[in-house]
Amino acid sequence: MGIARVEEVEELKDGLMRVSIGPQHPISGQGRILVVTDGETVYDIEIDIGYSHRGIEKILENRIYIHGIVPLERMVMLDTSPITMCYVRALEELYGVEAPPRAQYIRTIILEMNRIISHTYALGLFAESAAWNPAIFLWTTADREPFLDLLEMLTGARWSYSFIVPGGVRADLPQGFKEAAFEAIKFFRERLDVYVDSWIDNYLFEVRTRNVGVIPRDKAIEWGAAGPSLRASGVEYDTRKHDPYAAYEELDFKIITDTSGDSYARGGVRVKEMYVSLDIIEQALENIPDGPIKRSLPQRAPPGEAYARVETARGEIGMYVVSDGKDKPYRVKISPASFRNIFLIEMLPKIEELRFADVPVIFYSLDPWFLDADR
Amino acid sequence: MMSMKELEKKLRDRFGEGVIDFAIPRKNRLIIKVDASIVKEIAMFIKENGFDMPISAGATDYPKDKRFEVFWVIWSSIHNLVLILKTDIDRDNAEIDSLVEVWRGVQKFERETWELMGINYKGHPKLKPLLLPEDWDEGYPLRKDFSLSPYKV
Repeated sequence: MGIARVEEVEELKDGLMRVSIGPQHPISGQGRILVVTDGETVYDIEIDIGYSHRGIEKILENRIYIHGIVPLERMVMLDTSPITMCYVRALEELYGVEAPPRAQYIRTIILEMNRIISHTYALGLFAESAAWNPAIFLWTTADREPFLDLLEMLTGARWSYSFIVPGGVRADLPQGFKEAAFEAIKFFRERLDVYVDSWIDNYLFEVRTRNVGVIPRDKAIEWGAAGPSLRASGVEYDTRKHDPYAAYEELDFKIITDTSGDSYARGGVRVKEMYVSLDIIEQALENIPDGPIKRSLPQRAPPGEAYARVETARGEIGMYVVSDGKDKPYRVKISPASFRNIFLIEMLPKIEELRFADVPVIFYSLDPWFLDADR
Repeated sequence: MMSMKELEKKLRDRFGEGVIDFAIPRKNRLIIKVDASIVKEIAMFIKENGFDMPISAGATDYPKDKRFEVFWVIWSSIHNLVLILKTDIDRDNAEIDSLVEVWRGVQKFERETWELMGINYKGHPKLKPLLLPEDWDEGYPLRKDFSLSPYKV
């Protein structure tokens, strides 16, 4: 059949159909994927989001700065701390202050634990979408528990922590946290080895996901991919390195990249990033300095504007915050990673031949989150 | 690799008065404010100079000054810089050239801004509703004069 151009599809009637996946499909989340297909070959994909649009940008304009943190966390419940970190980072740029070093280290620890939690979930869905053993999803769901327990110990909540605040963090590390964290890291590193042995390095899984949904390097840049989807295409870009925040500047880690740009590479980048995250947490726990954890800031931010970027598990989130000197932001523009990544799949039928069964594999290798994209 | 001083000089030589402001507020950050009529030519020019990856776009409403400030945020894989390209447009005639032809990835952001802020991007290939309900007719939610009172709890 070759690669069909989208304009041609409109003229073809016989045999073609538009398949709607979602919006309440158990695996796609609250969104819809419209696929034009003749049953096997995919000619066009359209992403239809907005089923959970809550207008968070508008909500933020009507909340004092510190209250904005709570609605922001509703963007991605799996990965709440990087989003609040981004807002806090923009505010700290507006105020012209930095949090004390100890707070920066505690932030780093939470951010990396969130990355692990989010990546394990993403990998579970990825395995399931590739029709791999559904037990993987149960493994990944169970194996993140030690980190959820640690976060509960530290912040008092399993998901929405509201812990990173302008000027620092809310509380210091509790007694026994370090020991528990080292134990969790040891446990999780062993589990990661099991994943790699039994599943990632497995020939069948590799055959299913290799050369599926290849995004070439230049296209990844042109279309504005983010996070692991960008790095798997060979672009060495990680906000933690390129525009460091929290304590990342003082810690030693490397950016994981791959050159093949296919679904397998995106999954592989996530697995390797979890090893890196474990190293970062260990380093942060060992080198954490003593000192205060918070500085108080006035309620009104000085007039001005800031653009903050933070690397969430799904990729870079950007927030453009404009202040007019009041206690509420004048404008907040949020550009989440999922909003950038979710549309990549629309472009793929135009450059390569896709089969219908590849759509979920590619979709979950990109790891977009509808709630994140909708805001 | 070209320094930002050189880029400023090249831009000002080429476009003269069209470049209203060129500022480096902090490390890894660049803000260029330009005239709305030549925004596309300037975008082409800065793309040729290494600003290749679109990471955000949107607009801010300033009803008091009767203007929208439209912005695009571009990251450069060569300079490792974030560029915010800005321009002012008239609030009563909210039209601006779309930059989709320059950076493919701004399509979704411009579509979203068209829907939520009511800015018409000329030459955009797909201006259709994205986030709001299909039967939405209550105006543009991100504009400052949008009334929130029906939604207050």
